[in-house]
Amino acid sequence: MQAVRFHGRGGQGAKTASRILGTAAFLEGFVAQDSPIYGAERRGAPVAAFTRIAREPIRERGLIARPDLVVIADASLIEDPAARVLDGIDERTAVFVNSPLTAGQLDAQGSLSGRLTVLDLTDIALQQLGNRSAISALLGAVAGRLIGLRRESIREAIAGELADLGLAASVIEHNQAVALQCYDALRTVPVAVAAPQPTASAQLHVPMYEPPTRGTARISAAANSVLRETGGWRTFRPVLVPDKCNGCWLCFTYCPDGVISMTKDDRPVIDYAHCKGCQICVHECPTDALVAEREKGGEVAWRAK
Amino acid sequence: MAGEMMTGNLAAAWGARLADVDYVPAFPITPQTEIVEALAKWCESGAMAARFVTMDSEHSMMTAAGAAAATGARVFTATSSQGLLYAMEVLYSISGWRTPLVLVNVSRALAAPITLESDHNDVLAARDSGFLQIHAETCQEVLDSILMAYRIAEDERVMLPVIVNLDGFYLSFTREPVILPEPEQVKQFLPPFQPSHLGFKASAPHALGVAVLGGTPYSYFRHQMHLAAMNALDVHQEAAASFEQLFGRRYDVVEGYRLDDAEDVLVMTNALASRGKAAVDVARAEGKRVGLLRLRLIRPWPTDAIRDALRGRRAVAVLDQNLAPGQGGILFQEIAACLYDEAIRPRALCSFIGGLGGKNLSEGEFRAIFEQTAAAGVRGKGIGPVLLYTEAEHREMVQLQMLAGEPGS
Repeated sequence: MQAVRFHGRGGQGAKTASRILGTAAFLEGFVAQDSPIYGAERRGAPVAAFTRIAREPIRERGLIARPDLVVIADASLIEDPAARVLDGIDERTAVFVNSPLTAGQLDAQGSLSGRLTVLDLTDIALQQLGNRSAISALLGAVAGRLIGLRRESIREAIAGELADLGLAASVIEHNQAVALQCYDALRTVPVAVAAPQPTASAQLHVPMYEPPTRGTARISAAANSVLRETGGWRTFRPVLVPDKCNGCWLCFTYCPDGVISMTKDDRPVIDYAHCKGCQICVHECPTDALVAEREKGGEVAWRAK
Repeated sequence: MAGEMMTGNLAAAWGARLADVDYVPAFPITPQTEIVEALAKWCESGAMAARFVTMDSEHSMMTAAGAAAATGARVFTATSSQGLLYAMEVLYSISGWRTPLVLVNVSRALAAPITLESDHNDVLAARDSGFLQIHAETCQEVLDSILMAYRIAEDERVMLPVIVNLDGFYLSFTREPVILPEPEQVKQFLPPFQPSHLGFKASAPHALGVAVLGGTPYSYFRHQMHLAAMNALDVHQEAAASFEQLFGRRYDVVEGYRLDDAEDVLVMTNALASRGKAAVDVARAEGKRVGLLRLRLIRPWPTDAIRDALRGRRAVAVLDQNLAPGQGGILFQEIAACLYDEAIRPRALCSFIGGLGGKNLSEGEFRAIFEQTAAAGVRGKGIGPVLLYTEAEHREMVQLQMLAGEPGS
C-alpha cells in the first residue's frame, strides 16, 4: 500500500487534491481510499487529507501515521506545531513542498528529513491561472507524478473532480494543462513503501478524578484566544499603501476577525499575529490602498483589482 | 476495480435513490449534510421521483417521516448526533405505529463538550426505541444495508423502522470503491411497499397511535413489537441470501474475521472494525491466535450468532466506542448478558472504551488490547472498563487544562 498525506490550508484544495490522486489511482485499477479531516474552522485553518492506494482491499481508515509521501501545500505549515506536518516522517519518506525557496533553502530552515522535492505551485497558479488559491489540480498532479501514476489518469481525474465542484469546462481544461506542466516538471520518486514496523504497545494512562474546575470542559482564562496566533494561516498578507488610503474605515468595518485597528489619523493598523489573510479588506478597499503580498515570497504577487 | 469512488454519505443517498423512495423529509447536520444535499439535487433534477421537503427541525422531520410512512409511502431520512436525540420521542411513536421507514444515522459524539467526530453514544441512545439497527463497516455496506433495511422493515413479519448507521468522517467523508446495484435487480430484491395495516383512503379512515389505559393493551402491543423485532433475525438472513444471489455480496447478522482457531476474540462495530482486522493480521503474523467479531445487526440482538462465535474462547475483549457514565461500555453489558447462560463461556471478558469523540484507534492501542486480553484469559478474570487513552495524549490534555485556566487563577 502507498500512503499519501496532504497538508494544506482550508481553501487551498488539499481535499480535492487527495481525491484527484485517489480517482487517478482507481482509474489505473488500484483500490483507493481518500478522506479529509478538518474541524469547524474554515479558510486558512490547517487541514489534512489522506489517500491510500493498494492492490488489495484497504483495511486502514482515518489518519495516516506513517506516510510514504507527504504533500505540503503551504510551507508555513511546517512551522505550525498544530498542523503536525512532520509526524511520522523519516529519511525514506518522500516530501513535496509548495514553496518559492529551493530544497536547500527549505532544508536549512527546518529539519525536513525525507527526500525533498520543491516546486512553486502558487507562483505557477498565479502566472497561469490568475487565481491565488486554485492549486488542487496542481497538487494532485504533483502527487500523482511523485508516486508514479500515469499522466492520462491524472488528466482524467482532474476533469472528474473539478467537474464535481461545478467548474466550467474552460476552467477545467486550463487547470489540466497547467497541472500537467507541473507533472512534467517533476520526476517520480521511487516510494520506499514502509516495511511493517513492529509498533510498541500503547502506554495507557488511567485518568484520576479531578474537581470540576479541572474535570469539566470550561475555560476560565480570559482572552486566551490571543495566544493562538492565526497569522500563520495566511498565504497572502494585506499590506497598506499609505498614500492611497482615504481613511474611510471600510477595512476596519469588514474585517471578520477584528484584527484591524485605526490610528488617530484614520489609518488602518493590521495585527499580523492574528490576521488570517482572508483578503476581505483588500477586496473592500475602494482606493486599492490595501494589496495582498504573498507570504514568504517577498514581492507583491497578486492584487485584488 | 469495478464501481466508482464514493463517500459513505453519497453511498447512503444512492441507497435511498435505488430503493425508489417516495418521500424524503430532511434537516441538515454535520456530518450528514451531504446525504440530503445529494437527494435534494436528484429530486430537483428529476433523477429521483421522490418529494423532498426541508423541515424546521429533526423533530418535525421524523414526525413527517412517520406520518408519510403511515399513508403507505416509502420514506427515507437521515440525521446525526444531537439531531437524532432531538427526534428521539418521535422514534418511539413511529416504531409503535409499526411504520417501516429507513433512517440513516451518521454517528457523531454527543455534546457536551461539543464535537463533530464520531462515536456511538448517539445511535445507541436509540437502541430501545423499537427501531432495528444495522451498523456498517464500509461505504458499500452502507448502500447495500439500506436496500436490505427496506426489505426487512417492510416484511409483514417485522413492520418496524430501521436505523442504518455509518461513522462520521471514517465513512461519511471517506471515498472508496462502491459498486452501484442495477436498478432492475433492486426492483427484484425490493418489491413495491404494500402494507396491509397502513395507507390513506378517505372512504376508509383509521386511527394510529391511539390511547390505551390500564396496561393490558399496552403490554400486548409493546410485546408485539418485541416479537416483530425478534422476527427480523430470520428475515435478515432470508434477505441476506436473496441479496447475495442477486448482487454477489453477503452480509450476516455478525461477521467473523479469522475466528477459526482464535483463542482470543475482539468484538467491535462499524468502520474502525477495518482497523481492527488489520490489527488482527499484524498479531496473527506474530503467531498470536486472535480474531475479530464485528456486530452488524445491533437490534434485534443476535444472541445465538454471538454465542456461537464466542463459545469456548480463552478471552473476549469488547471495544465500545461509547461510554455509559456510571456503567461502562454499552455493548459489553449486552455481550456479557448473552454469554451468562453459555456452558463453555470465555474464561475472561474484558471491556475497553476507545475511539470516543473520533479519537484514533492506533496500532499501539490494538496491541495493548490484545496483550491485556491474553493476560486476562490466562488469569481467568476479566478487566475493565479500560479507557484507551495514552500517556502522550494525557500530556496534551494537561497542556489544554493549563491554557483553559482555573477559577480565580
